[in-house]
Amino acid sequence: MLDEELSSKVINQEHYATEIAQQYTKFLSQYPEIFSDLDEGSVFDFALYETLESYDKGSNMDVFHVLRSQNGIEIKAGNAKGADLELSLSVRAVEKLIKTQNKEEYAQLLGSFYNDPEEENGWIDFTLHKRTQVLIDMGYGRFAQTAGILEDDDKIYRI
Amino acid sequence: MSKPNELQIKNKYNGELVDTVPADTPETLRDKIKIAHKNQEILKKMDFFERAQILSKFAAKLRFKKKELKDLIVAEGGLPIKYSEWELAIVSTGFKFCDWYYQFIKEKPLTSIEGEQLVNLKYIPHGLSACISPRNTPISLPLYQLGANYLVGNGAIVKPSTACPLTMRYAYKMMEDMEFPGLEALNLIIAPGEWAVDEFLKSHLIKIIMTITSSHTAKDILVRYGKILKKTVDKSMGVSMYTQPFKQFFFECAGNDAGIVMDDVNLEQVAKWNAMASYTNSGQQCFSMKRIIVHRDIYDDYIELLIKEIDKLKYGDPTDPTVDIGPLGSRKILMMMEVMVNDAKKYGVKIYTGGEKIDTGQDYGLFYEPTLVEIRPELCEDLGKAPFLWREEAFGPVRSITKANDLNDAIRLANASNYGMRAVAYTSNQENIERFKNELEAANIYINARPMLTDITVALGGIKDSAYPAGCKYYPQELVYQKYIYDGTSLNFDKIK
Repeated sequence: MLDEELSSKVINQEHYATEIAQQYTKFLSQYPEIFSDLDEGSVFDFALYETLESYDKGSNMDVFHVLRSQNGIEIKAGNAKGADLELSLSVRAVEKLIKTQNKEEYAQLLGSFYNDPEEENGWIDFTLHKRTQVLIDMGYGRFAQTAGILEDDDKIYRI
Repeated sequence: MSKPNELQIKNKYNGELVDTVPADTPETLRDKIKIAHKNQEILKKMDFFERAQILSKFAAKLRFKKKELKDLIVAEGGLPIKYSEWELAIVSTGFKFCDWYYQFIKEKPLTSIEGEQLVNLKYIPHGLSACISPRNTPISLPLYQLGANYLVGNGAIVKPSTACPLTMRYAYKMMEDMEFPGLEALNLIIAPGEWAVDEFLKSHLIKIIMTITSSHTAKDILVRYGKILKKTVDKSMGVSMYTQPFKQFFFECAGNDAGIVMDDVNLEQVAKWNAMASYTNSGQQCFSMKRIIVHRDIYDDYIELLIKEIDKLKYGDPTDPTVDIGPLGSRKILMMMEVMVNDAKKYGVKIYTGGEKIDTGQDYGLFYEPTLVEIRPELCEDLGKAPFLWREEAFGPVRSITKANDLNDAIRLANASNYGMRAVAYTSNQENIERFKNELEAANIYINARPMLTDITVALGGIKDSAYPAGCKYYPQELVYQKYIYDGTSLNFDKIK
């Protein structure tokens, strides 16, 4: 499928607990192509955390999920049933991410929050609910690269 | 009771004291072994995926403490800060996705010729493992040893190098802080190998000895084991019976990797990768490209390009993010480089670049210039007579280069070695590629690959003197034994009831 053909739908906007989650879903809906590497039916949670401590305790302040549908993505409030994984983000990271101007800038910043996380300035992490090999087969490895989370080896070590 | 000792860990670049750590005594070591052994029961109550999730969580903690860990790696290890990024990435990626290793230890049913499925192959952890780690990787290898054992359900005692134990201690403290489940079955030993290895060998609680060391040190461990076994001999039955049971030995040893450059590749690109593959971490890597073999038709052009790349390498203060080459880990390495270059000179070799040392006269701030030495192909033929630089691992920034007449010659030269960890080849010809895959004598073959990959599929292991037992390997696979289970109940229930 060509990137241009993907559509996005944000469902039950009023169900979000926080404004920042609403803003983030709107932001993500601009770039459905970020999710194009995922198999249809892939679904995962985006959970927002106030602090690292609340993340350690598993106490998020808001959560929504993204479903890769046939023609694009659907974003819905709440946890997904049988989510493949949880992408956990600090609120500070989300505040910065929604200010990015294009998907390349977004991916770069998202990657930096994963690879160089800082409690104060922003961080992301993810918890796999399915086995790595299953998720690789569903396209999550490629997705993580497109989304800036998995770095290219060239960037990690360059002489 | 032995007196507890303290180790002073000094900065490898400027000699400043980084920290002081209490060292173990034989008594504290034995206590740690007993405690870890006893607490393996905790690991047995957890399943593989529970332990994998915990390691994955710990990987996130490592990322959050990246700066502190990198600073320690640089200070105590002398590794350039840009390399410390890779050193951490390889282990945090491995831990984050460690359930990937399940494929190697997943229970397998077997089908008989008659079509019955009565047999299962199960994978069972061996038991407590004693792990000895090298000086050149302050965190990736000791932590990988610890993590791999934990993942499969073995307790582990890890002995990081006494030259650089701080990073691993810091990581262990992080595990304590996060109340890492089952940590009671894992511990660190800060002690010199001279006596710690004997304690490991003597202990009946230790089932596995895994080391990452030179091939000669690994053989020395076997000799020491033989002496210990000999002391346990019982002749009361008229024959020699040894009272100590077998241990499992897993040795990751030296590499003397060949890197072949054929005449059908982009020489500029390959020369860049070659410099990275050969001189990263001052060449103090087992999998570094150490013997460079170049097709004669492009030899002179390639040498010119490679020297340009080598000359770009900056050595000095490892905290400087532009520095490629940090100080050597010890005076012994500096001496080895001098001995190898001086020995090569006796054969009338040509030194294209480097060949000089920077010696502060102390145990820190020691450098050897990135060096490239031409060894004529006829000198590589007989390993008994070849220069040290060709036949032994140069664990520092000195590399040999030689000329191959053709594909056959390149393969022959590459295989002219007592080692077989990795072999690397660059060519755009499909027939060459197949020949390299099939004929290069190494456990890991890399064709047209960039160096310093962090891909989870990257394996350890080797053949010849590079590893024991031989073959490419993933630790979780080695740390378990295969159990054959034939369950004839469905066939014979009525007969045995």
